[in-house]
Amino acid sequence: MRPKPPRTAMTSFVLGMGLLILVIQVYLFETVLGSVLDGRRALLGGAFAASLLLTVIALFLAFRIRGLENESRGKDEP
Amino acid sequence: MAKWRKAFPVDLADESFISRREFARFLALVSAGFTAGIGYLWIRKKPLEGAPEPAGLPEARVDLGPAAALAPGQSRLFTYRDKDDRCILLRTSDGELRAYRQTCTHLGCAVRFKGGQLECPCHNGYFECGRGFPVQGPPTRPLSAIALEVAPDGRIWAVGDLPKPGRAKEA
Repeated sequence: MRPKPPRTAMTSFVLGMGLLILVIQVYLFETVLGSVLDGRRALLGGAFAASLLLTVIALFLAFRIRGLENESRGKDEP
Repeated sequence: MAKWRKAFPVDLADESFISRREFARFLALVSAGFTAGIGYLWIRKKPLEGAPEPAGLPEARVDLGPAAALAPGQSRLFTYRDKDDRCILLRTSDGELRAYRQTCTHLGCAVRFKGGQLECPCHNGYFECGRGFPVQGPPTRPLSAIALEVAPDGRIWAVGDLPKPGRAKEA
């Protein structure tokens, strides 16, 4: 029977995705704010939908993915 | 022990006990904050400081006085849509009449007409008078412009908002 692969790769993927989502959110918000200040509000609905989708993904990753606990505990942690 | 640990002997017992799940939840929370911010911008009816009025508003006409009273290089302040909508009317050295909202597109200070340019004294931002583009300093977006008409009797009227000409090109 093959041993189970370590979860580190998966949890790193989750954290990487979370960080990537946050970078996209920052860029999206900055773009939206600049457009609103220029008087262009037409993209607000689409931007909100995209941002909401990213947040749902981030929430799913944060709450539903298993194995995120105890990954960064110190080695001396019992 | 690291040097900075010796220099700052603060007991940070919990610093290594942030699990990946807690960090992922923190990232999700910040992401939700950005979503809430965009949602707020979406449902907010009043335009942000310095933004032009949304299209479809009834055009307001405001009498700004006789055009002959404004010599080249001179300016006059006025309010347009309400008492907080402060604007500046100016006549360029070429004799052209221009009007802009006084709100600087950087951080919202009031711009003034000085030396043939519109100057924001807070952070030394400068806008050219022709179209309101930023030419120096931290502002990156042009000023919000007001459309003008000169009536046959020689009086100036503010008649609406001009569309923004787009983002300033990088120098």
